[in-house]
Amino acid sequence: MNRKTDQILTDCITENKENIYRLAYSYVKNKEDALDIVQDAIYKAMTSIELLKDKAVVKSWFYRIVINTSLDFLRKHKRVHSMEQEKLEFYAMGTEDSYTDIDLARTLEDLPSKYREVVVLRYFEDLKIEEVADVLHENVNTVKTRLYQALRLLRVKLKDTSLKETK
Amino acid sequence: MNDILEHLRKEYQSVPIPEELDLLVNRSIKEALRTRKVKRLKVKGMTAAAAILVFLIAINASTTVANAFSSIPGVERIIKVLTLQEFKVKESNYDADIKVPAITNMENKELQLGLNQKYLDESKALYDQFQAEIEELKKQGLNDAHVGVDAGYEVKTDNDTIFSIGRYIVQTAASSSTVMQFDTIDKKNQRLITLPMLFQDEQYVKQISDNIIAQMKEQMKGDDNKIYWIAGATDYISIEESFSSIKKDQSFYINKDGKLVIVFNKYEVAPGSMGIVEFVIPTEAIEGDLVSHNYIK
Repeated sequence: MNRKTDQILTDCITENKENIYRLAYSYVKNKEDALDIVQDAIYKAMTSIELLKDKAVVKSWFYRIVINTSLDFLRKHKRVHSMEQEKLEFYAMGTEDSYTDIDLARTLEDLPSKYREVVVLRYFEDLKIEEVADVLHENVNTVKTRLYQALRLLRVKLKDTSLKETK
Repeated sequence: MNDILEHLRKEYQSVPIPEELDLLVNRSIKEALRTRKVKRLKVKGMTAAAAILVFLIAINASTTVANAFSSIPGVERIIKVLTLQEFKVKESNYDADIKVPAITNMENKELQLGLNQKYLDESKALYDQFQAEIEELKKQGLNDAHVGVDAGYEVKTDNDTIFSIGRYIVQTAASSSTVMQFDTIDKKNQRLITLPMLFQDEQYVKQISDNIIAQMKEQMKGDDNKIYWIAGATDYISIEESFSSIKKDQSFYINKDGKLVIVFNKYEVAPGSMGIVEFVIPTEAIEGDLVSHNYIK
């Protein structure tokens, strides 16, 4: 039995390694730390797989470990990623073609992490709402509300930037 | 809207995957498996040696101890807290260490007995529950699951008027949770102090709650890592779930400076990462409703 669950987990890790790297990266924003987190998360998962009762949810369980490890890391290092007004305006001044991506990325990073993580999991990692809820230990309605609010925030922010451009 | 998401998604996925990821992932898996194997071997050794259950009785005859204290000339009758019993389980993956406090040397023997009985009963219940959990895990064949419980006590305040004892229970499975309970004793009058007793009427509930909410807001302003579930602080928690008022018999103790300290257990008013949170209530905030300054300075 143990060998079988080990195999399920190993497969899950190998299949999703790029995804979990990106997920970790979305929290810590640099390669070295993201790799550290991947390593830690694998270790944690492999040594505590017995605690996972339902093997069918191994993916969301593992994602949760990655997120918790990332959050722990951030808490320990207290990295605050903030964007000064000046820089924002600088980016906003650029022409659409060359700076669009940067503007958008900044917007995602500027989202409070509660919102960012639901967007990342639902739209970029393509998890179902139920799985997102499972990963975050929240109920489905909370996730839906946060998603809705996240989308609203994104749109509001983008509107603001475009307003500045027309001035 | 979809355009925006699509852009963001592309941006997210454009994060380059480092070359060493493959290697790192494979190595991590192997390493984890190896440590696990070592652990499993140990587990087998332990099962062969059978479960070791240490049942430790440190000072069971509390009355004898109490008498011994009072018979020493020059030693005043001071309320003392001792470890009455210790329930211990030490199996490879299951750890329990439950210390049962016992209060001695109180003049009010009835109260002393009542408190000690409560401590013992609750500890025993905790121990039984832990045993049941282990049985359940074994039945499911989850021999590698790590579970533990650690319970004990700490004396928060011990001065001329007040004796405050806090008891904690830390339960570990995948993550840990801690629960804390307090008893505060009036030494002079030999009675247990309850929160409502300190105040003339129920105004204190609002006064304390308002002060705590103000403190929460202040803390959140100064530190992004602090989160409390209060209205307006986090959008994703509904009004019903957010903290608006303490309970009439909210957990509390009186600290060494004679200040009232309100305690919330994990998840009670904040996310789990905040753990147990305590708020020292400035005496000015509750001045009007205090019965006297006997306890609260």
